[in-house]
Amino acid sequence: MRFIYLSYFIFLLGYRQTVLGPLWLLIGPSLFIALLGLLYAEIGAAEPEVFILHLAIGLITWTLVNGFIVKSATVFLRSRPQILQGEQSLDDIVAVEVTTTLLSFAHQLPIILIVFLIYEIGLNWVALESFLGLSLLVANGVWASYVFGILGARYRDLVEVFNAVMRIAFLATPIIWMPGEGMQGGVMAAFLIYNPFYHFIEIIRAPLLGQSPALLSWSVAIGFTAVGFLAAWILKKCYARLVPFWL
Amino acid sequence: MVTDVSKPLIEARNLSLSVPVITANERDLMRNPMRFLGESYFSRTVRSEITLLEDISFALQPGERLGLIGANGAGKSTLLRVLAGIYTMSSGKLKVNGAAKGLFDISLGMHPQATGLENIYLRSLQMGLDLKAIRSLIPDVIAFSELDEHIDKPLATYSTGMRLRLAIAVSTMIEPDILLLDEWIGAGDARFNAKVKERMISLVKGSRGLVLATHNTGLMKSLCTLGLVLDKGRVVFNGPVDEALERFKAMV
Repeated sequence: MRFIYLSYFIFLLGYRQTVLGPLWLLIGPSLFIALLGLLYAEIGAAEPEVFILHLAIGLITWTLVNGFIVKSATVFLRSRPQILQGEQSLDDIVAVEVTTTLLSFAHQLPIILIVFLIYEIGLNWVALESFLGLSLLVANGVWASYVFGILGARYRDLVEVFNAVMRIAFLATPIIWMPGEGMQGGVMAAFLIYNPFYHFIEIIRAPLLGQSPALLSWSVAIGFTAVGFLAAWILKKCYARLVPFWL
Repeated sequence: MVTDVSKPLIEARNLSLSVPVITANERDLMRNPMRFLGESYFSRTVRSEITLLEDISFALQPGERLGLIGANGAGKSTLLRVLAGIYTMSSGKLKVNGAAKGLFDISLGMHPQATGLENIYLRSLQMGLDLKAIRSLIPDVIAFSELDEHIDKPLATYSTGMRLRLAIAVSTMIEPDILLLDEWIGAGDARFNAKVKERMISLVKGSRGLVLATHNTGLMKSLCTLGLVLDKGRVVFNGPVDEALERFKAMV
């Protein structure tokens, strides 16, 4: 309860002195989908009602993935005073950070709902699998905060790395483009199979589009979760004590 | 919390703290300014290990108040942060029989866009207090800070003095079990300072134990019963505060 309240507080403070506040979270992706959705549907020769939904869910899930990763590199750096005053432990900081990122995501969910309503698309029971997908993604957000938070406190380069990589990853992942029927081979296959971002988006998006995600996507997501938590555990055990000195 | 009153409040045995540090690679700005720029560009660094605290042993019994004495860089603040659990020692044993809370850098961590009142909430939530406890503490914090109607204005509009008043009011609102103090807290004007002093004395009296680091010998004599003289991270003397201060005087 305290965590949620504190996270909400910090989340809203980020929008001080703006007129629209957290509504800005809706405006960005809405404009993107409204202005570029039809264009990219035509470029990709896809049916608009199929593509727009693919784009909306992909874009909003990507914002969550991106938020987890980019913010994680500075999560402990930004909490320097709290750490050095002994007011918050690393665990507290990660809990609040993951919750604030989820709050941003929650504010963007209405966009997906609106697209569903506009195109009058129905859901079936498979859609429930996306909750499982989302839970896996959030779990990965937790370990990423520890791993990249600790590494980012020691190596400030990490922020630059993420800035450079995440933009490319966005374009390399099927969000503004769509793999069509029979296009799973050749060059595209590499962008799907070896791209973890694709699998993480797939386990949330595919069920909402009425398909069960491929076994490969589930395996990759579960594998990342296991390896990530192991890495977080090891890094925390060996280096958490040095974090206050690096800040 | 279960606390055993017969046990020492704090017991440190052979406590050491060393950390790897990354330093610039012999950047000689005076001799070769151009090379300095070149090396800064790729930030070549050297790794080395420095010892901040070495082999520190002492015990603080209930009713005793400990003063940390030493020159700048002797390790007083570092030791306080180890006692507070912020820094983790690299070797040795430390037993803290109770909840040690420190007042360090109290004016940091405030949010400039948030109002004074919101900052009180923010800091209290971060300290781990629940909403009910915060609500009951708030009238006293506002009254103490003497910010009156300014409490609803953003912190960015505050003067330095107002900010400090708010920081002191928030940091001293709960009585710690064991108080760790890095320098005595004071504020600009004499009248408010008197009030702060009164509040601080009541915190010291209300807590079961005190560890204080200060350069103010008069204050240390009046508050502390024991003195621990530190030099370069090592204990030089451990005993009654008057003798400790004498010993320190002889060192410098």
